[in-house]
Amino acid sequence: MAAITTAGPSTAASEAFPIAARTTDAVKEYGKGDAMVRALDSITVAFDKGRFSAIMGPSGSGKSTLLHCLAGLDRLTSGTVHIGEVELGSLNDRQLTMLRRVRVGFIFQSFNLVPTLSALDNIVLPLTIAGKKPDAAALAEVVRITGLGDRLKHHPNQLSGGQQQRVAAARALASQPEIIFADEPTGNLDSRASTDLLDFLRHAVTELGQTIIMVTHDPLAAAHADRVVFLADGRVVSEMQAPTADSVLDVMRHLGD
Amino acid sequence: MIGISLRSLLSHKLRLALTTIAVILGVSFVAGTFILTDTINATFTSIFATANAGVAVTVHGHPIAGETGGVGGGQNHPIPTSLLTTVRAVPGVKDAVGNIFREGATLIGHDGTPIGGNGPPTFGANWITNSGISPYRLRSGSAPQQPNDVVVDAGTAAKNGLAVGQTLPIVFLGGVEEHFTITGIAGYGTSDNLAGATIALFTESTAERVLEGQNKYDSILVSAQSGVTDVVLRESIAAALPSYAEAETGQQAAAAAEQSTESTISTFIGTPLLVFAFISLFVGSFLIINTFNILVAQRTRELALLRALGATRAQVMASVLVEAAVTGLVASILGFVVGILIARALLSVFGSASTGGVTLLPRTFIIAVLVGTIVTVIAASLPARRATRIAPVAALAEALPETQPLPRRRIVIGLVIFVLGCAALLVGLFTSAGSKLQLIGAGFLGVFLGVALLAPLLVVPIAIVLGWPVAHVRGAAGILAGQNARRNPRRTALTAAALMIGLALVTCVAVLTDSVRVSTNDAIEGAFRADFIVFTQGPDFNTQAAQALQQDPSLADVTEVRGTSVLIRGSSQGIAAIDPANLGSVLSLTMVSGTASAIASANTAIVDSTEANASGVHLGQLVTFTFPQGASVPVRIGGIYTANALVSGYVVSLATMEPNVPAARDTIVLANAANGVSPSQAEVALHHDVKAFPLLMAMSRSEYRTFVGASLDSFLNLIYTLLAFAIIIAVLGIANTLILSVLERTREIGLLRALGMTRSQTRSMVRWESVIISLLGAVLGLAVGLGLGVAVSGSLHDLGITEIAIPGSNLIFYAIIAGVFGVVAAIFPTIRASRVDILRAITTE
Ligand SMILES: Nc1ncnc2c1ncn2[C@@H]1O[C@H](COP(=O)(O)OP(=O)(O)OP(=O)(O)O)[C@@H](O)[C@H]1O
Ligand SMILES: [Mg+2]
Repeated sequence: MAAITTAGPSTAASEAFPIAARTTDAVKEYGKGDAMVRALDSITVAFDKGRFSAIMGPSGSGKSTLLHCLAGLDRLTSGTVHIGEVELGSLNDRQLTMLRRVRVGFIFQSFNLVPTLSALDNIVLPLTIAGKKPDAAALAEVVRITGLGDRLKHHPNQLSGGQQQRVAAARALASQPEIIFADEPTGNLDSRASTDLLDFLRHAVTELGQTIIMVTHDPLAAAHADRVVFLADGRVVSEMQAPTADSVLDVMRHLGD
Repeated sequence: MIGISLRSLLSHKLRLALTTIAVILGVSFVAGTFILTDTINATFTSIFATANAGVAVTVHGHPIAGETGGVGGGQNHPIPTSLLTTVRAVPGVKDAVGNIFREGATLIGHDGTPIGGNGPPTFGANWITNSGISPYRLRSGSAPQQPNDVVVDAGTAAKNGLAVGQTLPIVFLGGVEEHFTITGIAGYGTSDNLAGATIALFTESTAERVLEGQNKYDSILVSAQSGVTDVVLRESIAAALPSYAEAETGQQAAAAAEQSTESTISTFIGTPLLVFAFISLFVGSFLIINTFNILVAQRTRELALLRALGATRAQVMASVLVEAAVTGLVASILGFVVGILIARALLSVFGSASTGGVTLLPRTFIIAVLVGTIVTVIAASLPARRATRIAPVAALAEALPETQPLPRRRIVIGLVIFVLGCAALLVGLFTSAGSKLQLIGAGFLGVFLGVALLAPLLVVPIAIVLGWPVAHVRGAAGILAGQNARRNPRRTALTAAALMIGLALVTCVAVLTDSVRVSTNDAIEGAFRADFIVFTQGPDFNTQAAQALQQDPSLADVTEVRGTSVLIRGSSQGIAAIDPANLGSVLSLTMVSGTASAIASANTAIVDSTEANASGVHLGQLVTFTFPQGASVPVRIGGIYTANALVSGYVVSLATMEPNVPAARDTIVLANAANGVSPSQAEVALHHDVKAFPLLMAMSRSEYRTFVGASLDSFLNLIYTLLAFAIIIAVLGIANTLILSVLERTREIGLLRALGMTRSQTRSMVRWESVIISLLGAVLGLAVGLGLGVAVSGSLHDLGITEIAIPGSNLIFYAIIAGVFGVVAAIFPTIRASRVDILRAITTE
């Protein structure tokens, strides 16, 4: 437990890009026999601290599976996953839960919020679950940059899709996790709302040094990232630093999406 | 459309399982009651038929007024033994035998305690030597020949290990033990005994002596010569009889006994059980409404899609109702089967003589299936109406938010029903309206329905209050539990209301019994002055005990209180008789007018003020008592007193009663410690004296008070048992609602788990929601129950319930139990919740 909660950036300070999360020979198989699907086929990949990484690839290429395994929501068939120095395979359910609670934040494509709770209660939910008091200053900052100030008392069904995703993003930031995982966070948003959200995530990385790993289908979204990893058929097939929408689209076309 | 309902039914098997259990429980209670009473009736019918097989005509006295009805028929006046000669002389009579058959021969088992306790009656009778007429059939050994021989019934013998050759102590009419030798074991007709009652058979002269026959028979059994029909023989016998006797054919006698038995069983067993069965079904219907409401809510999109594709409202309604009807039908059939098991279990508890199986009438099956199916369909019709209001566009929209405000119409309807219920209840309780019981029943129903309809308004405030401590103890899980409990107030209210009904009834009965306890405590304290009381829980006892106590120098003022029933203005009434000389030293009567000692004059009575007011009797008036012997005696009212816990109604002197009753019987005996003898010494002496009378109990005044209180507890326990069904159904209802809610919230729970909620926090969240719902039911139940209990107790002021007591510790206990029920109800739902697959929850659309 101590290893989970105390791991910080200091251990890797000497390296140029400290590693936030990595997999080694990650294999994930679903089903058995003829129906067996190899969603991840021996993936070895590392994600840098303090950077905004995107994962792209055709539908069914294993993006979500990789993200879930990295985030401790699912377990590998073989291979290892590390968050910081902690190997997730060695953790039991309770330890994994604690890791998600303390070190990881999430933004899903939809159904991100608990309908009975107000926006504010949703934002502080991970802290409430952990039995912690939110840090007032940090919370105020998160609320300010998400621009949700006048919506905090509203319940999710009184918010637009874009606002709901911003609440989810604010929640992911509020517990000050080491890594935020986002699976198609803009999938249900129009271009205006998705640009807002992506600017917000970009801002969190640049200004606050947040680490974000985002799965997306949208080259425009990927262009907000520092680096893109391309998957196909459960393998890493390519990657790109400082992507632009055009360069991403090029690669994607190449992959035959 | 019907195909769609059936497919939907199959795919919701699990969700409907608990609804099915609720219907099964309710229906099984109804079916079990019918099967039980039918079986008991059938047992008696066959007993009466076989026992009367050889009897062509029965001769007996006229029915004793006020002693009609009961198992086996009413009691008749005995007839003189000399009548036997008259009957034998009637042409066509083959043989006639005298039959003595009376209650009051109690066998003492090997462990020294009375066989049968205070349960079934204990009969003594003469052995009838003509086996063609006799209902008794020897199974082993021989008929009684010596004065101290006895034959016992086979059922009692088998149950208590009695065998031919053994010595058997027997107590007659509450007196001292006498020792007999068992010479034989006999059946009654083809059965082992008379449905659980014990029968001891003696020679005629012994029966005459021990049962105080006084040269009288209870009946004469006649067989006919061949060629003479029963009807013809009855007519010729009737013509020869004096006016005090009558004749019936054996068949008529059996039919009369059967009818009287049937109505007695339905009054004392059938009707009360059916009331509780109805309560269970009523509670079960809440569970059915809730389940179908939730199913409709979950199927909103599916039903809206059907509507969008052109299904009419009627088709949507039908699809829900067909699902309900099939569920109700299947559950009712299962309930009928469970009812058979329940009836069997109860029969073995009652120790009835029914040897083979149970009686299954087609009527029982039809009622069970109709009741179960109709209740299910009616309960589901509310959700079905809701389903018809789903707009086709709902198919395209996101699932609607669950909470909608309670429509004003419903609030008004709830209030009206509640107020009408209260009014019916109060009219039923406090006025002498004709249909009292129906009004009270309707009142309870109205109050429960009204509160259930209004309960959604109370859910939010009460859940906030109850949720507050939970949130503080259980953190996030507690906060979410409170919020979940009130996110759908109607669902929570309906779930809690089911528990409310059971708890309200329990609370009502607890208030009533506690009020009775406190009132009688005070009343017993004030009612008698004597240090000791001797009594029995069986029929009145003979005077042997009083005589023994009068010999004891440690005791003084030994006073018998005797009882008999008389006819006053056509209605039968119990009266008491006491020695006026001791009245002042053992009783403390508060006189309204006249004096208690007035009864010292011949044919003078005192009467309690309630009875005097009710029948308009005043001081100095003459009232005619018609005694069992037939004598009509004008009695002058010499005083009016306030009724108390020991004495009520008319009281006369022993001298006034004695000449008019066949044999002296004591109801209780009161005594004081003699002068110079300490109460504890006197008590030791008393207990020593009473030891010789196995059926009698001797107690000091304070012991007696405790004893009366304890008998109230066993009443309360009986009510708990009968309400257990309703409460089990309510707990199932909580479990059902929670499971459905958990399924509905799968994604939400998965999200919480992803955000770091542990499995145990998840379980805690569901468990505390359950506890909050249960406590909500408890709060409503205790409040409603208190109101009902106070109203019912208050209405019984005239029956001596002068104080209303609220059993605080019981109420706290009920609230705690309700909380525990919440935890129990949550067991399965918590398991479901903690097993939610995070990935499935957050990835499935
Ligand atoms: N629970 C499961 N059982 C069986 N197969 C699964 C399961 N989850 C994913 N798969 C399979 O694993 C492969 C990778 O799925 P994954 O969800 O990771 O794809 P993806 O890249 O996220 O696709 P998309 O862009 O459509 O979301 C697919 O072939 C999918 O069918
Ligand atoms: Mg995906």
